[in-house]
Amino acid sequence: MAVSRITLQHCRCISTSVACCGKRNFRKFLIYNKRGTKLFREKQTTKDRDPELFHDLGVKPVGYGIGETFVEVPEMIPELIVPDLTGFKLKPYVSYRVPEVVQSEFTPKDLFDAVYSDKIVNDFKNGKLGENGEPLEPSPKEQLTPEEAYVQARKTGTDIF
Amino acid sequence: MRLSVVLCNKVADLTKQYSNLPESYIKRAMEQVYWRTPAAPQYLRREIKRKKYYFGVHRPWTAEFQAENQRGTIRKKVFVEPIREWSYFKGDRVEVLVGQDKGKQGIISQVIQERNWVIVEGLNCELKVYGKSKDFPGVYLKSEQPLLVTNEVALVDPSDLKSSAIEWRYTEAGQKVRVSVRTGRIVPIPKGAEETYDYKTKATYKESERDTKASEATEITFEPALKTFEMDIMECMGIQEDRVPAKTFWY
Repeated sequence: MAVSRITLQHCRCISTSVACCGKRNFRKFLIYNKRGTKLFREKQTTKDRDPELFHDLGVKPVGYGIGETFVEVPEMIPELIVPDLTGFKLKPYVSYRVPEVVQSEFTPKDLFDAVYSDKIVNDFKNGKLGENGEPLEPSPKEQLTPEEAYVQARKTGTDIF
Repeated sequence: MRLSVVLCNKVADLTKQYSNLPESYIKRAMEQVYWRTPAAPQYLRREIKRKKYYFGVHRPWTAEFQAENQRGTIRKKVFVEPIREWSYFKGDRVEVLVGQDKGKQGIISQVIQERNWVIVEGLNCELKVYGKSKDFPGVYLKSEQPLLVTNEVALVDPSDLKSSAIEWRYTEAGQKVRVSVRTGRIVPIPKGAEETYDYKTKATYKESERDTKASEATEITFEPALKTFEMDIMECMGIQEDRVPAKTFWY
């Protein structure tokens, strides 16, 4: 029977790779402008910098460019519409002398009272109300039929969506 | 509780009311941030700032307060008895119980609630000399010293002008009032308590050109009309809508 001998050789190793494996710790150090070669970063400070690198700084365009020329579109320029404040009595601050204004809620009932109540009361006093209470001389608002009201509700200038 | 809230809680209610300043301003004027972590995503928001303040005679938003609380100055902790119901207001008649002016009555000119202090006009004064030298006799300045509300001062009953203990009780109407324990008479809160840095009373406030007057602010310009906001604008601008929308159906 042949006896095989195994010899183990212990050898010390030297690691040739960097200990941090290329990761540099920038967690607690705020170093700005670390991207790019030194030459590139120097060139950025001169006139020879790449003009296309910061081509858009977030400003909204007022037109469009065709090749080299720029065509300004007047509709793209924002127009600030400021109301005319001549004769406007309210000022930026309120004086301490002004008492606390407490206004009650303006309910639909209040709106009905404001719009229709006067005519109904006058009609009742002058006897111009019919058997079921309908007005004998209706105003344009009281003449509104349900179909008309439906059409008006669906036109521009309504709240009912 | 966040520290900013705690800081502002140290400034008492009456001080804030007298200042007529927004709380955020008082906090901004008081705080001393020595270092902040940079505004970058890898940092947690941390600040190194002063937490313990010394409250003296000066108000927290003044430069003298800042000088008293300069960076590096550490003072011994001042123990202030917490008072549940504060009963002393500016303009109150009060009797001094200690010191040279013991027994004399005066009117409160300042309330420093953070230290339980009250400064009575003309009483409990200290005479100090400034700049005395061989040739110069010096300048003498008399200033009122603060008095502790708990044991050095007593409210005066207006019916007999004698000092008495005060309690807070409710009237039949449900209003909370101060009542003298000895006589039972109500001690009203003086008009001077309404005073702030900007006005003595609201009714005597001096209006400037940028203030809206009462007549303009309380004027009702609302006219109820059976129109929505859109319809109102259309009428104003003269927009007429003649198109009739096509019929749609819900199933």
